[in-house]
Amino acid sequence: MNFHYVVKELYYQRRRTIISVAGLSIGIALFIILNALSLAYREAARAPLKEIGADITVQRAGNVPEELTGAVFPCSAITISREEVSKIEKIPGITGIGQAVLVWVFDLNRAWIVLGIERDNPIGPAILRNFVTEGRFLENGKQEALVEIGYARQFGIKLGDIVSVAGRLFPIVGLVDASRAPKIAVANLYLPLKDAQAIAVSSKPLQSVSPFAPGDVNLLFIKADQQQIISAAAAMKSILGEKAVIATPESFLKLLGSLFALSDKFTLAASLIAMLIAILIAFKTMAGNVSERAKEIGVMKAVGWTQQNVTMQFLMESVLQCFAAGLLGILIAIIVAFGLSFMTVNIPIPWEMSPTPHFLPGGGVQLYKTLRLPVHIPATLAFFALLLSVFVGGFTGALLGRHISKIKPSEVSRHE
Amino acid sequence: MNNADILMGTNLSKRFDNLEVVKDVSLTVKEGEFVSLVGKSGCGKTTLLSLLSGLEKPTKGKVILNNKDITGASEDELALFRRDHVGFIFQSFNLIPTLSAWENVALPLFPIKMTGEQRSRRAHDLLNQMEMGHRIEHLPGALSGGEKQRVAIARALINNPKIVFADEPTGNLDSVTGEAIMAILNELHKKKGMTMLMVTHAEELAASADRVIRMKDGEVIA
Ligand SMILES: Nc1ncnc2c1ncn2[C@@H]1O[C@H](COP(=O)(O)OP(=O)(O)OP(=O)(O)O)[C@@H](O)[C@H]1O
Ligand SMILES: [Mg+2]
Repeated sequence: MNFHYVVKELYYQRRRTIISVAGLSIGIALFIILNALSLAYREAARAPLKEIGADITVQRAGNVPEELTGAVFPCSAITISREEVSKIEKIPGITGIGQAVLVWVFDLNRAWIVLGIERDNPIGPAILRNFVTEGRFLENGKQEALVEIGYARQFGIKLGDIVSVAGRLFPIVGLVDASRAPKIAVANLYLPLKDAQAIAVSSKPLQSVSPFAPGDVNLLFIKADQQQIISAAAAMKSILGEKAVIATPESFLKLLGSLFALSDKFTLAASLIAMLIAILIAFKTMAGNVSERAKEIGVMKAVGWTQQNVTMQFLMESVLQCFAAGLLGILIAIIVAFGLSFMTVNIPIPWEMSPTPHFLPGGGVQLYKTLRLPVHIPATLAFFALLLSVFVGGFTGALLGRHISKIKPSEVSRHE
Repeated sequence: MNNADILMGTNLSKRFDNLEVVKDVSLTVKEGEFVSLVGKSGCGKTTLLSLLSGLEKPTKGKVILNNKDITGASEDELALFRRDHVGFIFQSFNLIPTLSAWENVALPLFPIKMTGEQRSRRAHDLLNQMEMGHRIEHLPGALSGGEKQRVAIARALINNPKIVFADEPTGNLDSVTGEAIMAILNELHKKKGMTMLMVTHAEELAASADRVIRMKDGEVIA
């Protein structure tokens, strides 16, 4: 019955109701969108690592090779020893490790970026098996190679050719389309890990800059518990030293440079402001409503409504409006989120993570991982926004109790 | 009739800022009595009525209503007291514009725990008694002045009050409609034995009461 009165009042005052619900819902929608955007950028920042099956990549910077002959390490990825890897494996929160060896090979008539990969590890570059466009992926225990399709075209390399790399012979068994493959650790030639390690071990120029023992690597792909990524990254830094280059979703978020990506505080402040505006709108309309209905309140009190009865009535009006505004705000946010999800983001891939010498094709060109902004509104966010709007309603309704208590029942005797 | 006193005001004063509007007034109303309070505009009739009915607290003096001293009661205690024992009829009807006729009648019952059907039945009965059975679902805006006042009288009666306070109940009505409303109030008094205190400044209306109290400049003169 009281509820019936609430609904009747809101309907009777529908202009006011519509204005306050609309104003409030925009505040709520803004709150949801800001948070959804922040989440979306966060998710986007995970993409470059996720597509290679990892949460963290690890390498270590070192000295520049003295001369570009034979097999050398790029200065961005020098030796990570077997002992260091087994220490990293023991860091809490780490659930899996993939390894690779990246070398630049300068043969007489050709330079290669060569990547040695673990054929059967789902973490790391073995994900390339999905991007073989011709031929087949590497087979277990065989000394053979895949070549990147653009490179193959440029140098006329065909399936079944036998190529010589740092004095070793490899039959080409497959072509890989790197334009669709993960942007991290793109190479020209893909070999089994042990063959790449063998090339590194036997290279004098490489050993003179960065001693490399059998079983060592120079790239790590790490899967970790989402909550422990930051602490795990810090632990790795202390194992590998200051020169370690550790890429995490957070480091990509920084590279994105978006306001949302840059700072949680911005999102927090902006959504607080949105909520504050919403509260002000709710309060102002409700307060106006109370003073306009002073006489009505006087009547209620005169016929025996207590202060609490009257306050409850207005509280219900305010909560109901804010609840409706919350629902509308979620709807608006869903529509806006749909629109925003057509936006694309370009995540720059640092040169260190996919080092191409400047004189090779693609050298010096900034690589990007491009994807549609994954904006969606998690149910928890929507629920929280709804809860928040009901809270706003309750808060303003309760504040109005004070206005209401100032209106006296003898108000009814006044007549103009 | 030699009934008990139902309303007793003793040495009542009311001061608004520096203006003393009611000055040391004492009066008594007996159960079943119809008393009218007359006097010029601004002489303090409405204020005195508010003091006696517990709408307003006196600056000085004491009010005993239905055997209860309401002088020191809190706002909420007064509200509950009015809800249980007192009915009000106002010059300007004071209906809630959003609520239909029967919902306005039931307004005092909203905070009370009872089924919607109980409320509705009581409101409908009273509206039928006021010959308003055909206007039950109408909003106040769609009712004439006389009809509004009938709704207001029904609202005043919904809690079976011991006493009804009426402040110029015909003041906003033309004379024919006013007479019809007065006829209802007189009948309420005569047939149901309702105790009534009515404020008016029209002598001819006051005449139908058992007793007339006259006020001048905040004081009772007769
Ligand atoms: N809340 C108030 N604050 C200040 N002054 C008030 C208040 N209520 C009434 N008054 C003053 O008290 C005096 C008496 O007012 P009251 O309404 O009791 O007169 P009344 O006899 O009912 O007049 P009327 O016949 O015009 O209704 C007036 O001068 C009025 O201005
Ligand atoms: Mg008056």
